Amino acid sequence: MSPTVTIAALTFREAVRRKLVAAFLAITVALVGLSAWGFERLSHSRSLSSAEVAASLPQALILFMFMFSFVVALSASTISSPAISAEVESGVLQAVATRPVRRFQILLGKWLGLAVVLTAYAAAVCALEFVVADLVSGFTPPDPAGAFGYLLAEGLVLLTAGLLLSTRLSALATGVVAIALFGAAWLAGVVGTIGADLHVAALREVDSIARYVVPTDGLWHGTIYALEPRSILANAIGHGSPFYAGSPPSWAYLTWCAVWVAAALTAALIVFERREL
Amino acid sequence: MSLGSWAERTTPDGAPTAVVPSMDASTMKLRAGSPSSPAVHAVDLAKRYRHTVALRGLSMTVRRGEVFGFLGPNGAGKTTTVKLLLGLARPTSGEALVLGSPAGDIETRRRIGYLPELFRFQHWLTAREVLGLHAKLLRLKRRERCADEALATVGLARRGDDKVASFSKGMQQRLGLAVALLGEPELVVLDEPTSALDPVGRHEVREIVRGLKQRGSTVFLNTHLLEEAEQICDRVTVIDQGRAVATGTLEELLGRRSVRLRVSGLPNGWWHCYARFGTWALEGEWLRLEGAATEVVPDLVAAVVAAGGRVEAVIPEHQTLEDRFLELLEAR
Repeated sequence: MSPTVTIAALTFREAVRRKLVAAFLAITVALVGLSAWGFERLSHSRSLSSAEVAASLPQALILFMFMFSFVVALSASTISSPAISAEVESGVLQAVATRPVRRFQILLGKWLGLAVVLTAYAAAVCALEFVVADLVSGFTPPDPAGAFGYLLAEGLVLLTAGLLLSTRLSALATGVVAIALFGAAWLAGVVGTIGADLHVAALREVDSIARYVVPTDGLWHGTIYALEPRSILANAIGHGSPFYAGSPPSWAYLTWCAVWVAAALTAALIVFERREL
Repeated sequence: MSLGSWAERTTPDGAPTAVVPSMDASTMKLRAGSPSSPAVHAVDLAKRYRHTVALRGLSMTVRRGEVFGFLGPNGAGKTTTVKLLLGLARPTSGEALVLGSPAGDIETRRRIGYLPELFRFQHWLTAREVLGLHAKLLRLKRRERCADEALATVGLARRGDDKVASFSKGMQQRLGLAVALLGEPELVVLDEPTSALDPVGRHEVREIVRGLKQRGSTVFLNTHLLEEAEQICDRVTVIDQGRAVATGTLEELLGRRSVRLRVSGLPNGWWHCYARFGTWALEGEWLRLEGAATEVVPDLVAAVVAAGGRVEAVIPEHQTLEDRFLELLEAR
């Protein structure tokens, strides 16, 4: 077994054994239960017409998924922030780093292990929420796999950023900065939407630049698009809202996101390689 | 000068000479991995951390198969040196070879065991799992057996399936020692290996170190416990403020020796007739013969008996390492 796989397996085992996965799953089950209650109330509402219910269900799902997007972002930053810094501070890493294993194998192993944890969590979140939405309200998103993919990509961006920061900053500082980046990127998206509504080019620019600097919000809009049925898109229901996406992210943008993750991971490798333990 | 040649240098205090190594690139290449190369060979190692100078041109050689004590007060640069030798940090200048390869060489790490000063392991793993992880990274065969043997050696055989989190500090240090012993390393670097152990644990560690020496391993013992070093080290280097201030065998370092003697049946002042053996000093009922080697004891006793005296006690003594250590530091 290569050292990278050994470290990845260790990282995955740590997340499971330290009950991180269990804690996030418990939160998720509670939130899915809450969303089930919401779907049930919405689909059986007497004050809304069937057309209004049909238009509201996708928007409700998008709102619930936004909540899960935040939980995924929180889990990505929580599991990545102590990955390097806390182990250096505690001295755990020194014992491993003096073994016949290269620094890049340690870092790559950690990234892989955390990515597997995040993938499993995002898959569980999407599966639970989509099944509950279908069972309770009968609504199935048009592209559930796409929604999962964009949500996971968003988490991986934050996970990589967290790991990069963790090579230099303390676990606490990393966690705070990673969440702040996520929040700032989302806020920039809202500002861009307002700018588009008010036809203010400067505000739209903020969103355009932010989407490239921290691509979490751009990918979140991919999740939104994957959850919107054609009826919503055709009538532009929700246009002007931060929870509406008129088009999916372009291939060029997705390529940029992949380059962003690769560049952040490379930067993390370089910084960690140079760091004295 | 090549790696294979050695120059004698007098230490700043004028006492025992240190083997001063030097190296050039071609020699390093030739000697890389050679079993006859020294276990550790450092030349002018210097390390600066922003405003702090941790090492100022440290040179030393650790021979294969010896127990080498690396002594110094807190903050002398001991742990920094260990980190440089293991590749955890890079020297500002100077070079070091470990087991014939540049310090930090990946493949050479397979032949090195290391107990860090800050011995911390994944507390959510069991002791056996920690050893399994390190055995995997070392690519050892029969990993379970290796782990069992290491646990038994450090007295943790019954606690192998307990989580590290439930271990006391002393037990964690024992586990660290077990990790360092995995794979029968040629060089074992122990950074303050008994700092958390009780007297029984310290005795056991000394026995383990002796066992390693018998097996042919080199032990690099980083410690400030002089009594410990005195009991198990073949040679020591004393460092202070980032520089080696003395290197040699304990015999060489503790050069000031004496013999204490209690004699009856001879008139007072009899010792003045035996000035050829050394300088005498009266200490109550005892006489101290300064600068006398153990070898003179039979001749001395024979001379006293021939003169009609009764030798009640003879105690050969030497300066303690602690006395010598303090003397070296005060001299700076």
